Amino acid sequence: MTRTGGPRLIGYSALAALGLVGALALRRPELAILAAPFALLVVVGTREARDPEVELELAIADERTLEGSDLDLLVTIRARRPVDRLELLLELPRHVEVVTGDTVRSVGLRAGEERELEYTLRCTRWGVHELGRTRIRARDRFRIVGWEARGAETKKVKAYPSPLTLRRLVPPVETQAFAGSEVARVKGEGVEYADIRDFVPGDRVRSINWRASARRQSLVVNERHPERNADVVLFVDSFVDVRSGGRSVLEDAVRAAGALATHYLARRDRVGLVGFGGVLRWLQPGMGSTQRYRLVETMIETGVEPTYTWRDVNVIPARVLPPASLVLALSPLVDPRFVAALEDLRGRRFDVAVVEVDPIPHVEPGRTDVERSAYRLWLLEREVLRYRLERLGVGIATWGDRDLETVLEEVRTFRRSTRLARA
Amino acid sequence: MAAVPVARGDATFQAAAARVAAVAFLVLVAALVLGRPSLVPVAVALAGGIYALELAIDDAPLDVAAPVVAAGLLLAAELAYWSLDERERAAGDPGQGLRRAAFVALLGVASLLVAGVLLALVDDVRARGLALDLVGAVAAATVLVTVLVTARREPPQG
Repeated sequence: MTRTGGPRLIGYSALAALGLVGALALRRPELAILAAPFALLVVVGTREARDPEVELELAIADERTLEGSDLDLLVTIRARRPVDRLELLLELPRHVEVVTGDTVRSVGLRAGEERELEYTLRCTRWGVHELGRTRIRARDRFRIVGWEARGAETKKVKAYPSPLTLRRLVPPVETQAFAGSEVARVKGEGVEYADIRDFVPGDRVRSINWRASARRQSLVVNERHPERNADVVLFVDSFVDVRSGGRSVLEDAVRAAGALATHYLARRDRVGLVGFGGVLRWLQPGMGSTQRYRLVETMIETGVEPTYTWRDVNVIPARVLPPASLVLALSPLVDPRFVAALEDLRGRRFDVAVVEVDPIPHVEPGRTDVERSAYRLWLLEREVLRYRLERLGVGIATWGDRDLETVLEEVRTFRRSTRLARA
Repeated sequence: MAAVPVARGDATFQAAAARVAAVAFLVLVAALVLGRPSLVPVAVALAGGIYALELAIDDAPLDVAAPVVAAGLLLAAELAYWSLDERERAAGDPGQGLRRAAFVALLGVASLLVAGVLLALVDDVRARGLALDLVGAVAAATVLVTVLVTARREPPQG
């Protein structure tokens, strides 16, 4: 710990010196008597001061938590020598708040005594948070000399996005070869009825549609659609973040991506991730709970890294975007690079759908006429952009005040209508 | 503390001393309100200065009120610094405030005793004719050396 002189050291020393000099100058011993207690206090206080050798230990209940959930932190303080007043300041990172416990605590410790301070914290936002930065200041009863130190031990906590309930998802146009929960367009072994055809040798007897066969006077069998899985790639825009009032479009986009990943994986679909922005992050499509943790842990590291470099989809490895996969984009559609990437993917015949995380509530219209005109122009440009994407066959819906379920339904409706139009 | 010398002086001295005492009070209030520990010794020095001035004007033999004034000034300074310490609100142990108050009171009593002993010693020294200047110079030098040695920061341990 670093030894520091408190304000009393300078003050009392100055008063003692002033008293003694005054006694010499005015030849009055009474002034020396006034100075004596101050001088004695300085001498005794500095002689008695010893490094208390305080040790800190941190323990958190769990290294993983959900945003908005409570998390217990235990700080254990130990002092080799007695401390009359030990002040502990717990420095919390952004997006972590204390629920119970005071961030500034003062305790008194005897030699060798151990004290435990309990805190309940809450991560208000998903992400990786470093907990445990502390500053301690120890003083003896004379308060002439103090000891200060910064706690070296920290613990990282991963706060996962809060789960959103979704009953239905955006179904992909194409499915893959493995079994899953999506009704495929192809015909094969399954439950969902597809068509009937004439019986050929080798067909199963139980596939025979006896009513149709009786009407036709020849054997006909049912054809069905198999349930297959699909490849879904979540395409998150991290070029820019628009925020106001404690909320931001990037935070909402990652929450939605987390919910979508969880639900698609539950259907045995393969889910991949591309964080497309200043820093490119990707995760190859995979299945199962391991993939879920991989996806979430990659998502919570998403942040905006400003860059002026033009990026296009060529920088994304081909194995991350399998053919016939559904690319589900979450973006405020503010940065032209991301919009260009969407158009490029659609041009490469990927199945693309967009959830537009609405940035408009976070933008002020402006005070002057010029600012208000620019704002209206920007709104019109966004309308044109949406129309352009819809013309390309990209289903797009705006997520602002409505719940995600409703937004996904709008995307599904658009995709159904375009499928009918193509047919 | 300023009231002790003010009460003993004449009307002219009382008028001047009252003004200085008011300034000392305002400086102390400023120190507490603005959170400036460096103003506390200024306020205490002003109050002590009134006493010094009264002694110089009066030119009486050894003043027996000196230990009381010394203890009072120390208590005033300690209470002011304690108040400034508590500006940083920190949830503390139960009884911490009472223990601190008891210690400050003990400091006041101890300073009264020490000053009283010194007063008796000085009275004895004067009677025997020893050089008070030498004693005062040695004391001043000791304090300055102590400040220089202890104000130096030690490097962090480990």
